[in-house]
Amino acid sequence: MADNRGNLIPMYVVADESGSMTPVLGELNAGLASLHRALLAEPMAAAKVRFSVLGFSNGVDVRMSLADLRHEDELPVLSSTGGGTSYRAAFTALLTRIPQDVQELKSAGYTVYRPAVFFLSDGQPNSNEDWASVHRQLTDRSRGVAPNIAAFGIGAADAATILNVATDRNYAFVQIPGADIGAAITKFCSALTTSIVASGMSLAAGNAELVVDKPEGFRMAIDVV
Amino acid sequence: MSPEHRAAGPNGRAAPPTVPPFVPPAAGPSRTGPAGFLPAPARPSHPPAEPGRPVGDSVYAAPPSRWAPVELDRPVDRFEPKPPSGSSYRPDTIFDGWSSEHVRVRLASVRGYAHRGNGRPREDDVAVGLHGSGALVFAVADGVSGAAQSHLGATLACRTAVDTVTRQLDEGRRPDELAWAEVLNHAAYQLVAQTAKILGLSREDAAAAERLMATTLVTGVVVPSSLGLDVHLVSVGDSGAWLLSGGRRFMSVIREPVSGGPVASSAVVALPRVPGDVRSHSALVSGSDRLLVGTDGFGGPLGDGTGPVGRLFAEHLAPSLEPRGLAHLLDFSRETFDDDRTLLVVWPASAVEAQP
Repeated sequence: MADNRGNLIPMYVVADESGSMTPVLGELNAGLASLHRALLAEPMAAAKVRFSVLGFSNGVDVRMSLADLRHEDELPVLSSTGGGTSYRAAFTALLTRIPQDVQELKSAGYTVYRPAVFFLSDGQPNSNEDWASVHRQLTDRSRGVAPNIAAFGIGAADAATILNVATDRNYAFVQIPGADIGAAITKFCSALTTSIVASGMSLAAGNAELVVDKPEGFRMAIDVV
Repeated sequence: MSPEHRAAGPNGRAAPPTVPPFVPPAAGPSRTGPAGFLPAPARPSHPPAEPGRPVGDSVYAAPPSRWAPVELDRPVDRFEPKPPSGSSYRPDTIFDGWSSEHVRVRLASVRGYAHRGNGRPREDDVAVGLHGSGALVFAVADGVSGAAQSHLGATLACRTAVDTVTRQLDEGRRPDELAWAEVLNHAAYQLVAQTAKILGLSREDAAAAERLMATTLVTGVVVPSSLGLDVHLVSVGDSGAWLLSGGRRFMSVIREPVSGGPVASSAVVALPRVPGDVRSHSALVSGSDRLLVGTDGFGGPLGDGTGPVGRLFAEHLAPSLEPRGLAHLLDFSRETFDDDRTLLVVWPASAVEAQP
């Protein structure tokens, strides 16, 4: 172990900028601005986040990379030039980018926790491509830095697709019209950054066993509780 | 439970698409959130640097005000802490210190900035006792945040461990032959028994105790010897122990294989879960060396001890340090390090005598 400069979670907003998203991009941009404001109001949480924004249609545009949002005046504005919805391109970009980013932060002396992806889409991917296999690689924890993916269905989203993208069914959401997307993502950001400190019981307990039998000579503590 | 533990494989995706909606929030930024939500500091401020204020390692010598936190790199924004939740009194900070013929002891436990901000109590605790033989018995614990009353678990584990080790010494066991499995089992069972009492359970339930009171524990004994101080200890979870030797080198006393994956995790194995193979660790504290025992709130920012945190403690952990001085030192402010911190420091008499 080297010196530890800090504890960080890389977070990625991956936004669908395909033609079908055009009617809701204004709402998405308002959501990103709301997320930025909310994180600035949570300085302890914001300090632990390095933020990237990727827009995708048939290809992927990196709009922001590993930014400390406390030093950014505003988040990038999403825009659509039409085109399809290649989930495969989006997941392939993450498959390459996330391990590189984690390594970059670790090389700079930070302790890096599991990255989080906020995937925003109307849930209508190109029908002629296999994105599920790339998604499986991306989320396979035995292969490397698999992120938690929270999927947000925007507009008339296909709920089944959104469920398939999220890494846990509790991380899958569809939007109620008028809901603030930024506020929803902010709750996730805060919960994830808090989890750095909030230790939990390890699921990988190895050979550790719960003590269930009263040991010989045991004495109750009477002056503590 | 952290998202790290909630995350699952793709199994859930085969289920019917009953996706929960996200609900439109009230106007303005959301002020509520998931359990453990980190609220905004009540009074954020970055005090301007004072002209002539020393920087780097000397920062402790002249803080901008006498009891302002020692700031390293970029500090946490200052704010007034929220009161800790819970029915029993839990002070933000405790410190203690004394000397015997063979050892000088300083200890402190401080509530982390995150818990000060979200109104959780300090979940760390520490206990020490001096045995009639001259041996120092100690325990340091870090309650698992995922357990609702883990601060009580930490306190119970510390006191039970010190009590059990002391009893074994009373019974004539040699310090290097203590029954460590028994010590851990007693501490673990204390959590189980007290959980049954608190919850009014008709029978003891170890799983319920894990949910309510899970805690890490490092406990041991420091024994005067002809060469200095012999240390024997055991550990469950990620609390640690170090020798600070040669003025600046931090060496871990606990030699476990590193199981680090590609990313860090805050998940720990904790009491009332006890390893099947309990391994003790030993070290010798000699000359001007110091023994440090602490929770990961100290060990995390310490890293390998070569950074600002290591330099701060290497420079200021002198035997002349007052107990309240250790508490102040331990409450250093460096952003992203906001966990509770607990540290026990032990000097051999030789180090005390050698001090200027």
